[in-house]
Amino acid sequence: MNRFTLSRRSVLGAGIGGAALAAAGRVPAAAQSDVRLRMFWWGSKERAERTDKVNQLYQQAHPGLTIAAESLGWTDYWPRLATQTAGRNAADVLQMDYRYIFEYARRGALLPLDGFQPDRLNLKDFAKASVDSGKVDDKIFGVSLGLNSSSLIYDKDIITSLGLKEPTWQTTWKEMGELALEITRGAKRDRYTGLQDGGRDEPTLEVWLGQRGKSLYTPEAKLGFDAGDMAEWFAFWDDLRKRGACAAADTQALDRGEIDSSLLTQGKVAIAFAHSNQLVGFQALNKSKLGLSTFPDGGPGAKPGQYLKPSMLWSVSAQSKQPEAAVKLLNFFVADVEAGKLLGVERGVPPSDAVRKAVTPMLDDLGRAMADYITLISDKVGPLPPPPPRGAGEIATLLRRVNELVGFGKLSPADGGKQFVAEATAILARG
Amino acid sequence: MADAVIDAGPRRAQTAVSADETSWRGSAGGYLFLAPWLLGFFGLTLGPALASLYLSFTDFDLLGTPRWVGAANYVRIATSDDKFVAAMHVTFLYVALAVPLKLAFALMVAMILNKGIRGLPLYRAMFYLPSLIGASVAIAVLWRQLFAGDGLLNQALALVGIRGPSWISDPDTSLYTLVALSVWQFGSPMIIFLAGLRQISKDVYEAAEIDGASRSQQFWRITLPLLTPVIFFNAVVQTIDAFKAFTPAFIISGGTGGPIDSTLFYTLYLYQEAFAYFRMGYASALAWILVLIIAAFTALAFLSSRYWVHYDG
Repeated sequence: MNRFTLSRRSVLGAGIGGAALAAAGRVPAAAQSDVRLRMFWWGSKERAERTDKVNQLYQQAHPGLTIAAESLGWTDYWPRLATQTAGRNAADVLQMDYRYIFEYARRGALLPLDGFQPDRLNLKDFAKASVDSGKVDDKIFGVSLGLNSSSLIYDKDIITSLGLKEPTWQTTWKEMGELALEITRGAKRDRYTGLQDGGRDEPTLEVWLGQRGKSLYTPEAKLGFDAGDMAEWFAFWDDLRKRGACAAADTQALDRGEIDSSLLTQGKVAIAFAHSNQLVGFQALNKSKLGLSTFPDGGPGAKPGQYLKPSMLWSVSAQSKQPEAAVKLLNFFVADVEAGKLLGVERGVPPSDAVRKAVTPMLDDLGRAMADYITLISDKVGPLPPPPPRGAGEIATLLRRVNELVGFGKLSPADGGKQFVAEATAILARG
Repeated sequence: MADAVIDAGPRRAQTAVSADETSWRGSAGGYLFLAPWLLGFFGLTLGPALASLYLSFTDFDLLGTPRWVGAANYVRIATSDDKFVAAMHVTFLYVALAVPLKLAFALMVAMILNKGIRGLPLYRAMFYLPSLIGASVAIAVLWRQLFAGDGLLNQALALVGIRGPSWISDPDTSLYTLVALSVWQFGSPMIIFLAGLRQISKDVYEAAEIDGASRSQQFWRITLPLLTPVIFFNAVVQTIDAFKAFTPAFIISGGTGGPIDSTLFYTLYLYQEAFAYFRMGYASALAWILVLIIAAFTALAFLSSRYWVHYDG
């Protein structure tokens, strides 16, 4: 038995020797302190390519540091992040959304970044509103990667080829419906309509409610509207659907709310409801030239419905074993001019003055359209609403379902309004 | 352990050891070979399953710590969860349609292939192929190409002047496209049926032919009864699979179970509660109810089998 153990040990020894030999080739790299950072974000292929370029630049400047990058679509991102966080296996640097940052920060999943200022994290030339948008309970838990706002993204080519006028920030909801109807009639394509069905889209509803002086949620986490509002909302879209101005229910159901499955990308509508920073991602997948405009106007006397929000934030996981290195990498993304040039405005218009000034002159038409858009709406927007309460995600799904019930003729708009309010109230109560 | 295996042989020959010890020594090697599976079973299956049983009595949002709520989750499921009812409806309808259709189709193809067609291995492989790629995202794309508003099916229908709906995204038809997907993946029951058909002795058919039995009589009186053990096996396996079906609805509806919950499979609802709305405790309770349902159906199948499954050839 001894002999056997001995031989086993010697085999093991030989193995280690072999491994040492194999490693010898890489000694210079191993000699420096190896740091491995993980980075996780949601977004399109376009975003992944830009992010990877910045990571390569950073790795070249920091030998011995490697960045393992991972990205998913929006829908798949949040389950994965929650699972990783619960499994104490979250990435060091992760992309956060305004919708979720409060929940993650208050549960101790994110690292407060205040202590890293100003040496590791330099936010000196950020507008105060931008810095504040990443604060939870007066501590910085996220750094804004860019400003954006809701926006229509539309097919310029078809609208101009039909001799119609592109929508502007003064186009009202009613005029939008008429424009869409003319596009449908002019285009004469199978199952093609001017407008997507916005009735199921939570940000679109939010803007519409804002213009009426209401909101999705009150600061006390109650609904900020009533069944009457919703009945009117569902009726507006039902009318457009029936007249063929917006997509039929069975066509709209194929749209998952991401860029690649959007009816605009699928060539089924001319105008889609989206976010301004998504213009870059949309254009990458669309042959037609795309334009950007505000959501329809509320008409005379309406309040501002739109607001500027952080398109997304970088946060550092509280579980990170290299918080210093993670914060430095985060800082490189938001404050370094070279990184900013690579990122462009794909995640939104950069909040850092220096980066924005460096990026602006080299923007292509798309980038400039986005930057101009943010400038255009800056004096037309309302304040950032409080972050949505727990259950808001489920209510967004509910909106889609009830709008489908109306769209497929299973509920009247009035009953839809009642059902939506009843179910949404129950969801909020359950949390 | 490795030492024990090597030493076991000679020592057993030398000394008389107790029966228990002998059997342990004899089986130690077996357990050693089983070890990877055992580790997996205890670490990756039984452990998490017990954890989920505990979680099903808690309120747990993944990020915080689980809070004990007793049977509250089960009570809500049983009394006031409309989505649970909707998901049960969709799932039972799916099982009731997909399982018999898939088995009938698999049996039909198996009988055709059993006629001694040339190039049988090639056909067998070809028909099995859909089962291999069934859970992939490519299927979602393919099914959309076939059944969307401007899909292949509607293009064909347009030739005869019919304007079809978008089958895949119309709440009245979307579930049937998923049933079709399931039937299309008939590969594994077909292979098993084929093996079963080959076991039926040719003599029986010859005797029947001499007695003047028609083809359909042969099928109903000989093939089907003699095949019942295989049908039973396939039915049980496919029923369990159908109850657990998740991927097709997930990839085709984009995780929503829509339109209007028409493809909200039970597992998809469970997934939404767990990973979209972060109600891990509630989702665990849902999972255990599914375990009970599947167990009940399997038990029912076994109990009924004595009345219709014939094991004597």
